[in-house]
Amino acid sequence: MKVAITGVGETAFLRKGAQPLLHMVAEAGLKAIADAGLTPADIDGFIGNRNVPASDDVGYALGVKERLFSACTDVAGGAAPAGQALLLAEMAIRAGLAKHVLVFYGIQSTRPGGVYSYHAREPQKAAFEMPVGYFGQPAYFAAMANRYAHDHGLSEEELASVSITYRRWAELTPSAQRREPMDLEGYRRSPMISTPLRAADCCLTTDGAGAYIVSAVERARDMPHPVVEVAAVSMAMNNWPHGIVFTQKPNIYEVPGAESARRAYEQAQVSPDDIDLAQVYDGFSISAIVQTEMLGLCERGEGARFYHRGDAAPGGRKPVNTSGGHMSGGYVPGINLLIEGVRQLRGGEGARQVPNARLCAVAGLGGNSHSTTILARA
Amino acid sequence: MGIPNYAVHLDNPAMQGFYEGLAAGELRISIDPESGNWLWYPPEVIPGRPDAVVGWKKASHAGAAYSFTTIIRSLLPGDHSAEVPFTVVLFEPDDAPGVRVPGVLVEADGVEPACGMRLEFVALPVGDHHIAGFRPAG
Repeated sequence: MKVAITGVGETAFLRKGAQPLLHMVAEAGLKAIADAGLTPADIDGFIGNRNVPASDDVGYALGVKERLFSACTDVAGGAAPAGQALLLAEMAIRAGLAKHVLVFYGIQSTRPGGVYSYHAREPQKAAFEMPVGYFGQPAYFAAMANRYAHDHGLSEEELASVSITYRRWAELTPSAQRREPMDLEGYRRSPMISTPLRAADCCLTTDGAGAYIVSAVERARDMPHPVVEVAAVSMAMNNWPHGIVFTQKPNIYEVPGAESARRAYEQAQVSPDDIDLAQVYDGFSISAIVQTEMLGLCERGEGARFYHRGDAAPGGRKPVNTSGGHMSGGYVPGINLLIEGVRQLRGGEGARQVPNARLCAVAGLGGNSHSTTILARA
Repeated sequence: MGIPNYAVHLDNPAMQGFYEGLAAGELRISIDPESGNWLWYPPEVIPGRPDAVVGWKKASHAGAAYSFTTIIRSLLPGDHSAEVPFTVVLFEPDDAPGVRVPGVLVEADGVEPACGMRLEFVALPVGDHHIAGFRPAG
């Protein structure tokens, strides 16, 4: 039995919002339910994540009647929960445990303690990294970028082209958080955080939430939108604990994306050449470069030049992050990328619509885990 | 260039060996107590042997930078704006390939940091503790 994503919903993406996390998750959930042509009473499966309110609270806030199936994903941070949740939803539907599963996620980047406070709880980071000032994602990913540059070459213009590409997509996306045009000079005006990464190379600080509905393809055919089938979803992990993963991996910029992509392409029986567009977890420009390569959109070591050539930009041969990604669209780790993939395959996204989009790959990175999802318009 | 000043928090006393080494002017790296192999960072639990505790051994003070970054905006909790910029290097001792010790690049005015640059360990006193420092070799 194949499953489809039958409803999607998001809140506004704000630099600082006024609503608590549960409120935002409920708003996104209700939008996804309405988008699927359903009511809260039709939702019988719930999948959240350890970083958001549990389905006990979300179900009540949505006004649902019964929860036949609920689960909580445990993968940290980023987009990998999108893949992990999708796997669970697929299993629940195939097992007959639920008919329509709501997957929800949200983030309050502006909550007290700051967006990087969780790093300080890692004993190795507190012991060996914080005393020398090596702290926070931009520092870790900056060291990755310098090592990548040593191994493959990476000019300032090539690095800049990643965030400039995503900003061009955001300009075409009404809901994107940062829509003002940015060229190379604008990139150079962006404050340097940790060399070579500027603020423009980093994901946004966002308060927001997203949600989607998973249903059997057979049911999806009778629902409001064109069917967007989950052709494959695959996870891979490198088994390095979070306190170690940013410094001690044999190659610090490698993530398990090549393996998750290989499995997903095999499962979907397609190749990278077949992909019409992709959504790539862009916590930082360097992590987007590496995952773009791992998806097979270009050769290893050529990711930055892929962006610099314009291949991922509007009108390019392999559009990437078509709503601005996490660096310009909004940072609701992973889930807003998956939602954009669904919207593109449905069609009708106006100026940013990728013509004849049939297959979309979604790459998600979270801590030491990675997911690749292949969405297909049935 | 500045020097970061942030308190050392050791949740696990097994990590103390590193700082005992710094106080003695040595770069000490954790080892597997059975095999004697480097085991860095010291894990909270040695895989498969939760009762085992890491040992410590002096590593070479000569090595190379695996990677680096110059911190312009410190994201450490609190106000550390007076301490930037400074360059953090991930140092690989010559006798411990794959072990990476984060530390601060010092005595490097006019030197452009680079992956592979030869470095030498130095213990840097900061407040009431020491941190790992690395200066260009030669």
